[in-house]
Amino acid sequence: MGSIEPFNRLVKLAARAFYDDITTKGENQPKTGRSDNRGIAVVILDALTRRQWVREEDLAKDLKLHTKQLRRTLRFFEEEKLVTRDHRKETAKGAKIYNAAVAATADGQQTGREGDEKLKMHTHSYCCLDYAQIYDVVRYRLHRMKKKLKDELESKNTVQEYICPNCSKRYTALDALRLISPYDEYFHCESCNGVLVAESDKLAAQELGDGDDNARRRRHENLKDMLTKMEEQLKPLIDQLARVKDLPVPEFGSLQAWELRANAAGRSVNGDLNANDPSKSSQGLGFGGTPMPYVGETKVEVAFSGIDQKGENVKSANSSAPMKVLPPWMIKEGMNLTKEQRGETKVETKGGSLTASELSDDKKSTTANDDAKNIQDEYVKAYYAALLMRQREQEEAVKKEQESGNAAMSNEAYNTSTERQVGMKSKREDDYEGDDNEWEEAPPTGGTTEHFKVKDLNVEAEASEDDEDDIDWEEG
Amino acid sequence: MFFHIVLERNMQLHPRHFGRDLRDKLVAKLMKDVEGTCSGRHGFIVAITGIESVGKGLIRDGTGFVTFPVKYQCVVFRPFKGEILEAVVTMVNKMGFFAEAGPVQIFVSNHLIPDDMEFQSGDIPNYTTSDGSVKIQKDSEVRLKIIGTRVDATEIFCIGTIKDDFLGVISDPGATS
Repeated sequence: MGSIEPFNRLVKLAARAFYDDITTKGENQPKTGRSDNRGIAVVILDALTRRQWVREEDLAKDLKLHTKQLRRTLRFFEEEKLVTRDHRKETAKGAKIYNAAVAATADGQQTGREGDEKLKMHTHSYCCLDYAQIYDVVRYRLHRMKKKLKDELESKNTVQEYICPNCSKRYTALDALRLISPYDEYFHCESCNGVLVAESDKLAAQELGDGDDNARRRRHENLKDMLTKMEEQLKPLIDQLARVKDLPVPEFGSLQAWELRANAAGRSVNGDLNANDPSKSSQGLGFGGTPMPYVGETKVEVAFSGIDQKGENVKSANSSAPMKVLPPWMIKEGMNLTKEQRGETKVETKGGSLTASELSDDKKSTTANDDAKNIQDEYVKAYYAALLMRQREQEEAVKKEQESGNAAMSNEAYNTSTERQVGMKSKREDDYEGDDNEWEEAPPTGGTTEHFKVKDLNVEAEASEDDEDDIDWEEG
Repeated sequence: MFFHIVLERNMQLHPRHFGRDLRDKLVAKLMKDVEGTCSGRHGFIVAITGIESVGKGLIRDGTGFVTFPVKYQCVVFRPFKGEILEAVVTMVNKMGFFAEAGPVQIFVSNHLIPDDMEFQSGDIPNYTTSDGSVKIQKDSEVRLKIIGTRVDATEIFCIGTIKDDFLGVISDPGATS
């Protein structure tokens, strides 16, 4: 699912690399087989990659963990700066806000949660992965590991030792002050006044007592081994870091902000019939960025034939890029976009408010909310497939026209697109319809563009026609 | 690193100072005794900034000296491993160079000088890069990192390194004068 996937992979790799044998039990507690909870850290991190903000009790329930244990691990992760947590006192009402947010983002795939109608004030904790920081933390950790080993290997920060060739008395650099002689620039032995020589291939002078040559060599070998092993074993992680490097980091914002956005998005998704003024209900937040719900797992597969399939392919081929939901009019063919970016949710909101109202006429009683949503989903997907194709055609056409030096034509082509921005809401539906009729039959030529343009201009009137078309689609 | 701490010391005062300005005499003697000394635990006592309290004096049998327990505030300087210091080079030789950061002597061995700096003997022994752009000689100021300390009861000696990022000469007196 788009650009959060590489980050989730990063988290999973890091979890396995560094937090595999983390046990949250204190030192004093007896380590019986039963209390051995190593690996739990990995499980929790994995679970978090499939969620956004999540209430810790819910997470515990989902993982069948004890809340205490989960909390202890989460506190550890918080110290490790992998997760951000938020605690707040809230009543059942406050919890409801969160529930609503979850419901909104869950896209109908409610994960085994119940209503939680509690009336007491409770302090609830929420947690969420902090991808930006995780990226930095992992990089820093790797850097420190490498640096430490390398330093030891090169005996960079170790105390130089000196040895007297005559009496083989050993000194360290810490004795330097006593060893300098006023006559020359060498160190002199305190006992025999011989010139000291620096001990050359010395390593890790922390072990001053262990002066044995073999031991030192062994140690050197060990360090080298460790370094190569580290590089080998952490290669996937490092690769993943490199992959993630230029991707924009998924950002959920603070709990409140997230809830707000999720709720707002959810409202419009659920087809708020009264708020049929889409400009009010969805547009305000829609373009800013509707949050991606439960990013890892919510995937609506639409088994369409023909167009839609193609659309899917195009989308997945381009799936690695910024997470922000782009307004549809900004989506051009060359862009790398994920489905989220295409504003799946958001468009649902648009289409939702329209179709839902239409549906309400004849289908209201029979169609459950979920069904409506699915239909909207499918519709939207199909629409986007079409839109994408059309944009590509358009652009090709524009290119062609430009090549042929027909400035006027290309201008017109651009005009169409700007036009669409302005009157977007109602026209969109029509675009879609016009499109997917069009692009299959018509080869991309300058003429086509013209054609589109004409369609675009008389869009408004056709909006109603579109809906019937739409419904046919779902059922067919 | 500098610390402002409160220390205590038993001061012995000669009976000839007993009089109106006993307290002043006591403080003057304290300063004379304590400032500039070094204790392994607290580091160098740089300056006394104030007297916290002077306890009851106790007359020693036989001598007539009086012992006052004095609590005083002072600034101490204690170098730590890993600390970055700026120091003035005092001596350069084949084995490395010595530098001073206030009261602390620091030795930087030639292994801990970047590999591209070579020792040049002569009238003014120095370490110079191959292109001659950076030169470490007596009175140069260097930024170094302490990698080891030896703390005796009355002495602290450090060894440092300039073989790391952002360490090395910070101003060359030859260039400025």
